[in-house]
Amino acid sequence: MKASLNWTKEYVNLEGIPVQEIIDKLTMSGLEVEDFVNQQEIYKDFVVGLVTSKEKHPNADKLSLCKVNTGSEELIVVCGAANVASGQKIVFAPVGTIIPLSGMKLGRAKIRGVESFGMICSEAELGLGNDASGIMVIDKKLKEGTPFSKALGFDDVILEIAITPNRPDALSHIGIARDLAAIFNRELKYPELKIDEAKDEAKNYASIEILDTKNCPRYSSRIIRNVTVKESPEWLKSKLTKIGLRPINNIVDVTNFVMNELGQPLHAFNLDQLSGRKIIVKSTKEKMKFTTLDSKDRELPSGTLMICDGEKEVAIAGVMGGENSEVTSETKNILLESAHFNPSHIRKVSKALGLNSDASYRFERTVDPNNTDYAVNRASMLIAEVSGGEILKGLIDVYPEKIKEKEVQLRFARVKKVLGYEIPKESINKILNKLGLKTILQSQDEIRLQVPTYRPDLEREVDLIEEVARIYGYDQIPAVPKITITLEKKYDESVFTDEIREIATGLGLYEILNNPLIDERSASFDGRPIKILNPQSVDMAYLRTSLIPGGLIVAANNINKGEKNLSFFEIGNIFNKISENEINSFEDFIEERRLLFILTGKERKKKWNSTEKVVDFFLLKGLVDSFITKFSLDNVLNDSYYHSGNRNFAYYFTKNLKEKVIGLGGKVSKDVLKQYDIDQDVYCFELYLEELKEIQQRKKFYSLPIKFPKVVRDFAFILDKYITYEELINFIKAEGSNLLNNVKLFDLFENESIGNDKKSMAFSLEYQAKDRTLTEDEVEKEFLHLIKLIEKKFNAKLRGI
Amino acid sequence: MLTKEIQHVKEESEKDFSSVDNPKELEELRIKYLGRNGILVQLFEELKKVPKEDKPAVGKNLNELRNLLTEKYNLLKTDLEKTDDTSEEKIDLTLPGTIRTIGSKHIIIQTLDEIKSIFKGMGFSVFEGPELESDYNNFEALNFPPNHPARDMQDTFFVSEKFLLRTHTSPVQIRVMERFKPPVRAIMPGVCYRNEAINPRSYCVFHQVEGLYIDTDVTFAELKGTLVSFAKQFYMDDLKYRFRPSFFPFTEPSAEMDITCFICKGKGCRICKNTGWIEILGCGMVDPNVFNYVGYDSEKYTGYAFGMGIERTALLKYGIDDIRKFYENDLRFLKQF
Ligand SMILES: [Zn+2]
Repeated sequence: MKASLNWTKEYVNLEGIPVQEIIDKLTMSGLEVEDFVNQQEIYKDFVVGLVTSKEKHPNADKLSLCKVNTGSEELIVVCGAANVASGQKIVFAPVGTIIPLSGMKLGRAKIRGVESFGMICSEAELGLGNDASGIMVIDKKLKEGTPFSKALGFDDVILEIAITPNRPDALSHIGIARDLAAIFNRELKYPELKIDEAKDEAKNYASIEILDTKNCPRYSSRIIRNVTVKESPEWLKSKLTKIGLRPINNIVDVTNFVMNELGQPLHAFNLDQLSGRKIIVKSTKEKMKFTTLDSKDRELPSGTLMICDGEKEVAIAGVMGGENSEVTSETKNILLESAHFNPSHIRKVSKALGLNSDASYRFERTVDPNNTDYAVNRASMLIAEVSGGEILKGLIDVYPEKIKEKEVQLRFARVKKVLGYEIPKESINKILNKLGLKTILQSQDEIRLQVPTYRPDLEREVDLIEEVARIYGYDQIPAVPKITITLEKKYDESVFTDEIREIATGLGLYEILNNPLIDERSASFDGRPIKILNPQSVDMAYLRTSLIPGGLIVAANNINKGEKNLSFFEIGNIFNKISENEINSFEDFIEERRLLFILTGKERKKKWNSTEKVVDFFLLKGLVDSFITKFSLDNVLNDSYYHSGNRNFAYYFTKNLKEKVIGLGGKVSKDVLKQYDIDQDVYCFELYLEELKEIQQRKKFYSLPIKFPKVVRDFAFILDKYITYEELINFIKAEGSNLLNNVKLFDLFENESIGNDKKSMAFSLEYQAKDRTLTEDEVEKEFLHLIKLIEKKFNAKLRGI
Repeated sequence: MLTKEIQHVKEESEKDFSSVDNPKELEELRIKYLGRNGILVQLFEELKKVPKEDKPAVGKNLNELRNLLTEKYNLLKTDLEKTDDTSEEKIDLTLPGTIRTIGSKHIIIQTLDEIKSIFKGMGFSVFEGPELESDYNNFEALNFPPNHPARDMQDTFFVSEKFLLRTHTSPVQIRVMERFKPPVRAIMPGVCYRNEAINPRSYCVFHQVEGLYIDTDVTFAELKGTLVSFAKQFYMDDLKYRFRPSFFPFTEPSAEMDITCFICKGKGCRICKNTGWIEILGCGMVDPNVFNYVGYDSEKYTGYAFGMGIERTALLKYGIDDIRKFYENDLRFLKQF
């Protein structure tokens, strides 16, 4: 909310307090001053000037040479505005002035060959409005040389205050003044009401009826007759302009003024347009169309609270008035509305219509129901003053059931228990009283207070504790120098992923983090994606079902930037729908954590002492196996299953645990790569961490290394090409005696010399016994036996030993 | 007589040893002095003939000579062997070494790790929770009434009327409190989502760490002490701070913690919007309504909660100019951390 400090000072005397201190204290008591403009500061160099002559610029048609009397001297100024004329009083910026619009210092400049010693300013250049079409011409009566800020009242400080949703009372100058009164211990003064009423009674000219008292508990109104709708006086226009509001006419301006003064939104109806001179407040029974005063047609849902006259709707209650009853320059008689509406209803309507007005903003945060009469009186008084109208006798005030002030009890001991600091009882009392709470009972240990209805946020003891603390000052409460560590059982649920990250980085991978919100095609990679009801864009309309698409996007982006050799990992959650229904419970979907490895390009570039190595399937497979080994899962997860291509992969493999797939990946298919505009091979693997977490063996036990020597034997076979490594190795492991401790493939080749449908595989076998040194004979016997078995089983030919 | 001889051998050996410059000569000297029939052995033979009363003194001298010679020999031997190696094979030792690539954790995760370790040191547990949450856990149980303007503070992505992408890690508070009885002292890191315009200062996905401590005597003063200690460990030891009243539906009283802007040292700059202060976290005393939702006795227990955005924290700490860079995953960016 924008607030003027000078305006605020009309309700609280802040004499002797520096501006900066006011700003700091406001921020430190919860009304955060996000920004401010000190006009005295920014306008300090501008003065009133008199244009004494105007001539054409010798070298430019659109420029003129003006002589400006600045009060102390006469200067030549080059001016580009068409509206400049001799005899005008203008705002003059001498050389060296910082121009608010640009923030630049004005220098002495030669413009088309003529030197200019200053600038005649437009509203826009002064930061006062958007009008940059011409210079700002000011009142002739102002004397040249007078400081501009003094001459036109721009000696204010404009505050931009962030008001939290719990503080509707502070959406007004009086509310801000009330906090300042409490902070600086000063008196708060409400504006005095002086109403001259006409003899005629208002109730003879209009009637008010509330049919929906739940959504409209109170409607206060006054009638003002014979107004002259015209431009507002300077003081009123200036107040509104300063806080960023555009003056419209004297009637509307007063309602805006009072809303910003007291926080009560008001609406002025053209009484002569109200059929039957009636106001009926009721909710719509069905959908309808309505034209608001901004000339827009709105579709209203049924159940919208409306202000109606004898036959039609004239305003959307608390949100915006209708075009059909708007105050125009012809309006003579007005009915002024000052009502209280149900906050959550106004919010619902405003949301449904996508229509946010200054009024709805305040109503949905709660406006004081017990101040509608004061506000309508205040506004009537001002309207009479600025429009010459007369106020009819009596307030028409429909308030069937008064909303009462709450009473809240505050125990002094509780203040200390929550804050950890004892605030003196007198301070507690004083602060709360200054904020408008009435002490109705007081004892040694506690006080009972009546809370004004403009503070709907103060309902409980703890709310009052906050009030006391924020005004007393959070900084007065010391930070404790020590804490006690409680000894309940400690947990760290992130240990598991932390460990994975350590291993993955150790394996040379860089971690990436992706946005889980992706487009529909990417989201459909591996399951049934969940749709976002209100996405920002189609690119982020679904939740990912796999980490792979995100990884591919990252790979594509890096490749485009020239980084073609990539090894990444990501840990993140994926989401899958498991029921057809809308998501109404945690049983309708699955959220689970996955780990992605993604490799592409060269694993190793050519170096002076080594050759390059391009990423291939076996590098991916080895990476997965290294991870599993390091993660102590090797004796659970030694099952791999190999598959030819599918939609996503050219070929892939899975890691399984008892029939259940807990990891899958391989070479990404050409089709998928094309989707992501990648033209190099990419290998990736995704591990399902929820399952891994369950089977990971936390405890490792030391096992004694075998101290007896190994005996190593090698053999090579020529066998049929289609016999897989896995078939052979499983056979060797199964049949190769219990002394066989380790088998490794160390050579593989295919060559015409051994036949086109043949291949040669060479293995190294380690024999070892736990309890003795093996004899050569013993090993030889086992070794030769195994060779025979292999020859027989696979029709293999021994090539060498 | 023998003493003189010892002195003479000592002098001669010094000359001999100082002129040696290859292993072969050294070996010859070893044989000459220390060999099986070398000078030392001969001198020890002589020692037998020395009168009994002189024996200890002469023997001592002789021992010293033996030690001296052995030492000299050993020293030269290692020296000469070294020189010998290089002379055999000349390697350009300035050639580049073979690098083993070590990857790195994402900077957001590293920042999170640092925060976690500070709080673990202060006795906090670490809990996690789902990102796709119920409206109840994310809002209602945290005292955001339905249809209340407080909900506007957090623009939300919905997947249904009752389920949404969590807008903060605070729902994990509810889960932890439903699971344990006080004392509860925990931090809760995780991914959150907000339906906000994407620009250099905000992104629709971010990480947050939530903190919670509930016991019988937890106070605002302790909240301040704990967070000040954290900020000093995480940012810098001599920082200035302030706690500013604020509003969160699930805490009362609520505050935001600011520290001196470390770009301008408090003078005012673009980063701190000329205030000299930078907001680092939100916090407050747990609202009794939240206790009522999870079934804690709000008269008996008090507690505090706090939360901070990791991206924002990392932006500040590492001087990164655009929050979107965290999710671009540019290798040149990732490799810097
Ligand atoms: Zn700064």
